[in-house]
Amino acid sequence: MKQMDAMEEWLEGNGEFPWQDREILRYLGYPQEQKVTEQVMSLIGEGKQELEQAARPRSVWKEYPLRVEGHLLTTACLKTVSKNLEKNLKDCEKVLLFGATLGSQVDRLLQRYARLQMSKAVILQASAAAMLETYCDWQNERLREEYKEKGWYLRPRFSPGYGDFPLECQSSLVSALELSKRIGVTLTDSLLMAPSKSVTAVIGLSKKPRVCTVQGCEVCGKKDCPYRR
Amino acid sequence: MGIKEALKERILFCDGGMGSLLQAGGLQPGELPGTWNITHPEVLVRIHREYLEAGADIVTTNTFGVDSLKYNEHTGFLVEQVVTAAIRNAKNAINQSGKKAYVALDIGPTGKLLKPLGDLAFEEACRIFGQIAAVGQKEGADFVLIETMSDSYEAKAAVLGAKENCCLPVFVTMTFDRQGKLLTGGNPASVVAMLEGLGVDALGINCGLGPVQMKAIAKKLLSVASVPVIVNPNAGLPRSENGQTVYDIDSAQFAAVMKEIALMGAAVVGGCCGTTPEHIRKTVELCRGIKPVPVKPKCRMVVSSFARAVEIGRDPVIIGERINPTGKSKFKQALRDHNLEYILQEGVNQQDSGAHVLDVNVGLPEIDEPSMMEEVVQELQSIIDLPLQIDTSNMEAMERAMRVYNGKPLINSVNGKKESMESVFPLVKKYGGVVVALALDEDGIPETAEGRIKVARKIYETAAEYGIGPENILIDALCMTVSSDSQCAVTTLETLRRVRDELQGKTILGVSNISFGLPLRENINAAFFTMAMQNGLNAAIINPNSEGMMTAYRSFRALMGLDEQCGNYIEAYAAQAAAAKAAKTVRAAETEKNGGSHQQGGLNRGMEVRTGEDTHNGSGFGAALAVSIEKGLKEQAAFVTRELLENRDSMEIINKGIIPALDQVGKGFEAGTVFLPQLLMSAEAAKAAFEVVREKMQESGAEQEKKGQIILATVKGDIHDIGKNIVKVLLENYGYEVIDLGKDVEPALIVSTAQQNHTPLVGLSALMTTTVPSMEETIRRLREQAPWVKVMVGGAVLTKEYADSMGADQYCRDAMASVNYAEKIL
Repeated sequence: MKQMDAMEEWLEGNGEFPWQDREILRYLGYPQEQKVTEQVMSLIGEGKQELEQAARPRSVWKEYPLRVEGHLLTTACLKTVSKNLEKNLKDCEKVLLFGATLGSQVDRLLQRYARLQMSKAVILQASAAAMLETYCDWQNERLREEYKEKGWYLRPRFSPGYGDFPLECQSSLVSALELSKRIGVTLTDSLLMAPSKSVTAVIGLSKKPRVCTVQGCEVCGKKDCPYRR
Repeated sequence: MGIKEALKERILFCDGGMGSLLQAGGLQPGELPGTWNITHPEVLVRIHREYLEAGADIVTTNTFGVDSLKYNEHTGFLVEQVVTAAIRNAKNAINQSGKKAYVALDIGPTGKLLKPLGDLAFEEACRIFGQIAAVGQKEGADFVLIETMSDSYEAKAAVLGAKENCCLPVFVTMTFDRQGKLLTGGNPASVVAMLEGLGVDALGINCGLGPVQMKAIAKKLLSVASVPVIVNPNAGLPRSENGQTVYDIDSAQFAAVMKEIALMGAAVVGGCCGTTPEHIRKTVELCRGIKPVPVKPKCRMVVSSFARAVEIGRDPVIIGERINPTGKSKFKQALRDHNLEYILQEGVNQQDSGAHVLDVNVGLPEIDEPSMMEEVVQELQSIIDLPLQIDTSNMEAMERAMRVYNGKPLINSVNGKKESMESVFPLVKKYGGVVVALALDEDGIPETAEGRIKVARKIYETAAEYGIGPENILIDALCMTVSSDSQCAVTTLETLRRVRDELQGKTILGVSNISFGLPLRENINAAFFTMAMQNGLNAAIINPNSEGMMTAYRSFRALMGLDEQCGNYIEAYAAQAAAAKAAKTVRAAETEKNGGSHQQGGLNRGMEVRTGEDTHNGSGFGAALAVSIEKGLKEQAAFVTRELLENRDSMEIINKGIIPALDQVGKGFEAGTVFLPQLLMSAEAAKAAFEVVREKMQESGAEQEKKGQIILATVKGDIHDIGKNIVKVLLENYGYEVIDLGKDVEPALIVSTAQQNHTPLVGLSALMTTTVPSMEETIRRLREQAPWVKVMVGGAVLTKEYADSMGADQYCRDAMASVNYAEKIL
């Protein structure tokens, strides 16, 4: 796992972040195989360096039992009905609630360029989104290995706002994990996360492996989304 | 004996964790812990008593997170009731135990992030904290303990709120991570500077880490703090075992480390999450006999931003002078136009040039200086992490800026006049700050160093009466113009020396004054700067973009042993030297090739595109400009425009050069061959070209016509404004006058702005489903109160159908769509 090692090293303050350029370009709206101008690539390069300086990725997770009664899913202080989440959590007895962020310095960096150089702001926006996903993937992969030893299989992470999983569940996740105290992630009155480059998710834990997992982007029902992979 | 006196006599013990004990007592997940003060007082009294019996001197009320955001009519329990009950529980426990102990009114963070990163307004936060403190005082708490703060800005709001609503002692503990950083980026030195500036009585660290990890941070705090230090760690580092939280060390190990921390000099020790009466008992047993280390004033002169502290001492500090309208017509215009980007860019440039602090002066007779000062300070501190120097003679502007400033600022300035000291010192005392003190008074500027020293003495003495120590007074030795008084530099240098040697004080100078009226001012400035540093100058207000000044600074440091192995000097100049050498080689080669003719100017890329003249746009005109814009090359676009202006008319360049190029890129974007970053880079290049044309037009007295006014806003509740900002860049490019109301904008403000100017078009953006209702509300109000307005909407969750159902006039799927709509209707 080259990616895993690279992340480990970067977090310790050595080496480069394991960037996935294709993902950055996807968030910027470039179709696969689209040629990217030299000027844009050089701006992406600058942005990546600045993000590596500004980001302080942090994450927390906590294990909770899962109860399913009819279509009602209950875990910690989270109670919800969601077909998509229910499908995602099929055969799960427990869940991991998960929260992660790149920290508030990234927002300041985004803000700086939003005021002074919008082209770079959109590039940083896309790069930070890709960075956060890569970081979460890495953290989830570590959890997958840890739980595998105990005989548990992890389902792909599923966030409020995906499909029909209500955004309102954000508050329960944030308070169950004490996100504001532990990693500085807060919610605004309209349930936006601040700092903006943050994620909350539910990760199912099951004794059964799942053969075919559709994950990430493809789970979503919004088939006409411009960012769809 | 009050707690402040008690701290001088012995180490005091705080109690430990509350949350896990309440859970053990039956508190359910999701239940508000504060309500137990009212519903289960017996449990609270028991827990407090257990800590008292374990030896705690301080009982912390169960009011963490009890604020009006969570405790209000919706939850059925009001802050006043809960805090009152909590203090009574603490007092009952103390009475029952028969011990002498102190009640700490616990104030925790709100769980919200302050604006601009989040949506809680600073003043609202002050109000929330103030309410808790007021009840605390009324009910007889002994002091206020603000704890678990991981954002310096929220901590400042809490301290101000507490101090403005009660007169109890205020203690503050912050939460740091393993690297000794706050979640929002500060460090022990920056936190101590800000909190001591605000006048807290004790400060320290709690939560987040176990005692082992806290040791290094406690040590750092102890080395810089001049008030008692508090250390309240968690029981250790937690991990989850079968769904239960367990810690990596036990209570005996906890106590052993706490003893080491007490020996280092901590004045208050206790526990946080996961600690129990057992942890406290063992800690008390081991630490009871330790004699407290007396708290010594550190006498460091420090200013801070939210992220960093800058010490003003032997190593000179560079204060960037460029954010100041004096003598700068462009800057004045930016202030009149409310063009904050211009000001922010000045800030960023100076940081890039090596400034340590930025002076901020926005005084102009025709603008509302207090509002502008407050806004500029907030804008600067949201994108730049350097400390700021608040530079104004308007007391209202000074106070408003000091209030919202996230750190401990430099203040420019006070002087020896009674009136000046009477108005400035109370502000410095209240909000904290290092104040620049001009060595002049009612009798004017003393001509001799002796006279200036006398004024400096008077200022130190008066400051002391306000409780402001010499470590917060930075004497301005005053720099006159050498061309009108040939002795003035000598006098200034003598003053610098004598402040250092006779008064043990620190000095500052606005260096550039010296050369006024002389040719090649940088020559004199740089020489004088070096002499001043040699005579003890600690801080210099200069233009950091001036190469000569920075060379003087870097050379001085290298020569005075302030730059280890000349590392900074080499870093600054090695690349430059190499580049100069390389350029020389290239030039030599070119000269040979071209038979002696050699193109001037550093813009080689400009040459390269000019060769494409014939192939582009059919005609030769503006082809180089078109290529620069399409490729998004800013400097080049400006350069080419400047050249074109030499023999072309301004309007011709706009209509035949810039606009067609922009249209070309816009069409490409719509066709899916050009992508968003390119579109914006082209827009920025076009803007650079426009700037050049505009300057030229201004010189000739012509004004470029604006096409029409458009209001843009991200709706109430939405703090993501990237989409709106993209639209703004493009609309401005096409010549529209954009009024940008920002993000999280109240419908009423949008309506009143539209009414004020009879604005024909409003663009609204919303990112989330949760904020679409406020978009709907805004449209409804606009229809009622500004019926002439056309409304265009956009944002990630919107669709055409959605937009129609809300009654918007136009749905814009992207930024070009909004340009097209504006072109159509305006």
